[in-house]
Amino acid sequence: MATILIDQREVEIPDEPRLNAIEAARLAGIEIPHYCWHPGLSVAGSCRMCLIETGTRDPKTGDVSLMPKLVPACNTPAVDGVVIVTNSEKVQHARAMVEERLLLNHPIDCPICDKAGECLLQDYHFEYGEDERRADIRPFTSRRRDVGDTVTLFVDRCIQCSRCIRFTREITGTSELMLINRGSHGEIDVMPDFPLQNNLSGNVVDLCPVGALGDKEFLYRQRVWFMQRHPGICTGCATGCSIWIEENQDRIHRLKPRENAEVNEWWICNEGRYGYPHVHNDSRLWEPRRREGGSVVPLDWTTLPAQLDERLRGAGRLAAVLSPHLTVEEAYLLCQYIRQLDGKAPLILGPVPVVGEDERFPGGFTISAEKCPNRRGVEQVIAHFAGRVTTLDEFLPELAAGEIRGMWISGGYKTDWIDAPTAERFGSLELLVVQDLFASPLSERAEYELPGAAFAERDGSYVNRGDRLQSARWAIRPPGSVRTEGSVFWELLGRKGLYSARAVLDEVAREVSYFNAAAGPIPEVGIDMKVNLLA
Amino acid sequence: MSNYEPVLLANITKEQSHTRAVYEAGGGYRTLRKTLKEKSPKQVIETVRDANLRGRGGAGFPTGLKWSFLPEDHPGPVYFCVNADESEPATICNRVQMELDPHQVLEGTILSCYATRAATAYIYLRYEYPLSYRRMQAAIDECYAAGYLGKNILGSEFSLDITIHRGAAAYICGEETGLIESIEGRRAWPRIKPPFPAVEGLFRKPTVVNNVETVACVKQILDRGVDWFKSIGTPPDPANPRDPGSYGPKLFGISGHVNRPGCYEAPLGITCRELIEEFGGGVWKDRKAKAVVPGGLSTGLLTADELDTKMDFTGPGLVGCLGLGTGCAVVMDETYSMIDYLHNSCRFFAHESCGQCTPCREGTEWALQMMERIKAGRGRLKDLDLLLEISATIGIIPGTTICGLADGAAWPIKNSIDKFRDEFEDYIKKTNPQGYSETEPVMAVEEALSGTAI
Amino acid sequence: MSTTETILSDEIREAIRAIFSRYPTRQAVTLPALHLVQERLGYVPLQAVVEIAELLELAPAQVQDTLSFYGFFEQDKPLGRARMWVCRSLSCAGRGGEGLLDYLCEKLEIRPGETTPDGRITLEFAECLGACDHAPAILVNDTLHKNMTEEKIDQLLNTLK
Repeated sequence: MATILIDQREVEIPDEPRLNAIEAARLAGIEIPHYCWHPGLSVAGSCRMCLIETGTRDPKTGDVSLMPKLVPACNTPAVDGVVIVTNSEKVQHARAMVEERLLLNHPIDCPICDKAGECLLQDYHFEYGEDERRADIRPFTSRRRDVGDTVTLFVDRCIQCSRCIRFTREITGTSELMLINRGSHGEIDVMPDFPLQNNLSGNVVDLCPVGALGDKEFLYRQRVWFMQRHPGICTGCATGCSIWIEENQDRIHRLKPRENAEVNEWWICNEGRYGYPHVHNDSRLWEPRRREGGSVVPLDWTTLPAQLDERLRGAGRLAAVLSPHLTVEEAYLLCQYIRQLDGKAPLILGPVPVVGEDERFPGGFTISAEKCPNRRGVEQVIAHFAGRVTTLDEFLPELAAGEIRGMWISGGYKTDWIDAPTAERFGSLELLVVQDLFASPLSERAEYELPGAAFAERDGSYVNRGDRLQSARWAIRPPGSVRTEGSVFWELLGRKGLYSARAVLDEVAREVSYFNAAAGPIPEVGIDMKVNLLA
Repeated sequence: MSNYEPVLLANITKEQSHTRAVYEAGGGYRTLRKTLKEKSPKQVIETVRDANLRGRGGAGFPTGLKWSFLPEDHPGPVYFCVNADESEPATICNRVQMELDPHQVLEGTILSCYATRAATAYIYLRYEYPLSYRRMQAAIDECYAAGYLGKNILGSEFSLDITIHRGAAAYICGEETGLIESIEGRRAWPRIKPPFPAVEGLFRKPTVVNNVETVACVKQILDRGVDWFKSIGTPPDPANPRDPGSYGPKLFGISGHVNRPGCYEAPLGITCRELIEEFGGGVWKDRKAKAVVPGGLSTGLLTADELDTKMDFTGPGLVGCLGLGTGCAVVMDETYSMIDYLHNSCRFFAHESCGQCTPCREGTEWALQMMERIKAGRGRLKDLDLLLEISATIGIIPGTTICGLADGAAWPIKNSIDKFRDEFEDYIKKTNPQGYSETEPVMAVEEALSGTAI
Repeated sequence: MSTTETILSDEIREAIRAIFSRYPTRQAVTLPALHLVQERLGYVPLQAVVEIAELLELAPAQVQDTLSFYGFFEQDKPLGRARMWVCRSLSCAGRGGEGLLDYLCEKLEIRPGETTPDGRITLEFAECLGACDHAPAILVNDTLHKNMTEEKIDQLLNTLK
């Protein structure tokens, strides 16, 4: 441990990783304002907002001597014995000075700026700035410039922190963004015919501390203070990025990366970021229905579970298809339920969508080709119950043999996942229950067509490509008469009270050795399931 | 001073002084031969350190000390850069050396590379010096032909290649890490330190950057010895144990309103008055000096009363200037307006601020806008205090910016308003008696709430 | 392969490649390459930036970022046959440099940074030519003109074709 003195308070900080003064102060609950520094990028040291005083303390007398020079906290290592002062008059003057300078040529068009409410320039000015403008008022410009597919630039709001430029050079390696000109005439720009176009481009909007870079998709949709944010997990691919789900009255308006050093650091890909409109798609299945002869009858959830249970019990040999979109808990409950009815019921892993190849960026971020969040988790659950994992292709010949009479199939895919000829092969079943987000050739053959929940509506856990289990709560309520898979299985199993994913996970951790590490509380960064495999 | 015999400029009065033949006829490359045979790199560093040579580019950092920061036994490569950007306004001496005595610069460079074990050197030469470029390139070609450059120089183990890297008209390239970034092909944004170039410099390798005149001094020290060097100039102040003194000859420039503008050699420590009177031939048109820039635009101003200031590394600082700078003085006669001077200075720094750090980028531009308004007759008395505050935040208060060049933008404001405040006030009162401004800032919050604002 | 025309000739490309060995990275060849192209073509249009970037294995924006910082490279159209840098720094300004710049603007009917319609002269201000001992000074391409006056400018203009 290293001991440092911050604003006359002794603070113990770990030796590893090496922290700078901003990070060390944060551990002590002290915020040092900063624009250009970002933990995921190289140190620029140019905005000068994080200027502090530093010095040393005589170990014998305890006397502190400060250097006359202000230093940027971002480039000041928090080494043992260092003295950091963040609240002196000198530091406060420096902050007020930087704020005043940054506003000299800023349009101050906050009412029409998307960033208002989450803008560092606003927040810091409120906190550290002066309340009077001393500079001449000059006509300002407020130019908008298209820089790429997903991002638009409000040129004159930029404070030249260079975060976005460093991101494209250091993290994506694509270097589309540049600063042009010199001095106060500097502007962010792209080369004509070389727009900001990479699969991580949306991150520059999050990185922008002011309203210069705007997300075209989010632009002018919501004032940020009307939204609530909830921690979530992206289900777009097997990377399983930690995200913030930002919604207002059960409508998602934005997904943003949630820092997770073990998975996605500070970033998410565009596919994940913009991959939620299906949640609010009007063509979602929204009520449970039953097909009788030629007609379709809406059902009522109050009686439905009992009815399903009765029909499944009477159907003979059973099988279940588990989507890799199910949470660990849901997969566990479904397996348990089906095996309870038929101890030898085949448990089948639903199709695993793979698109292209993994895309790996120089900064280390990887977008997985496997476009589902929980293949590993579902496989482990199936293996626990069935000993081995059967794929749908492997199962189809068995289905054709005709012994299986009833099936429960969970979908949950964003896009078409089964074609008509394959769906036809399920035609001879006596009972087919399909639970899915959207209608498919299969759901149209199902006697029971149950609406499934979208990722932001579920409680539960996923295991990503790195065997890391992460848990999240629901962020929005499902539309219409949709019930989450977990709550349906919970009720079918006759469990009491409301569905509790946590209670199920406790059970899974006890029963399935792979999941042993999930027994305790799940940290925000998730838990590595491999630790048990090594033991 | 008339009895002082020039050393650095000894060669330049000769015909064809820029050729190897003339340089060698005067003893050129003798020092290189001798040093390669008789001295180890370490001994060269010790010699330069013993001489207390301080960098001639502006900051006056001890050269031997700078070299000693290089990690020992570094597997290499180590790079050496000659700072020939000479972008400080009013500064001319590097140009004179490169045009008229390029071989002295090269011999000094080769010796410095030998000391620092650099096998590659880049001479960062400003584009505005086409004749320097031609002369230096020709001299380099001659050196390769003579075996002073290339593999195994003069039969020794030491090899060196020199490349001239031409700038593109940016003041900031004179800052050593800006220079390094510029060579690497990026915008010349000075780097945040640490790490310092000696540890992580050009191409992230240990690097030394020295000024043209500094390497020429290295040559002279190795040729004539430490005692000779220390017999010239100002010894350290005994009251200040950290003062390395101001030893050696120095090239001074004198320009502006004098009769004989030019580049002259004199011992460090001559007075500014001597520079003006004895070398510059006095103020032109029989006028008096009103203000003198001591050593390049960024160093600030001396008043007529401060002309006995010693031109060494401590002198200008004692009268509130930034420092000796490049030692190139500009004289302004009694008719010259300080408003024009400060406008000129603010315009320069606003144009040349690299834009990296907020205080300098925005502060220099703000100061220029204010000076334009004042000059145009719409100044207000309170602008003067605001200008002083801007200057304080871009250099006077240490540490507000990454590089020291922001200080240079601050000192002209500070010195001119501090030392010539009456003139600024008179000008403002005369040109804008009503204190009128069409760009009055918004009212303060208290005023707005109380309704007392207009 | 597309048949898009390139702006850099094989000869220019070869000249740029010849510089590679002098630096340990390709990016370091940025300034030398920009100078070379501006000397040969009279300017560095965006297409040339793209082609330089390709040679240096950089993104075009990296080269353009550097280029635009220096304010030395012309991009819209070729520079005039004579590029005139009129020094406006203190030593020259104190001896009439700014007046000479105004004089040239009026005489050539262009502003600093512009080129006469006949492509003869590009007028520029210089922050300091380092020729204070010859103030006021004007640099025309590679030649320094010392102690300039309006009369000497008139003579100089007559020699520029």
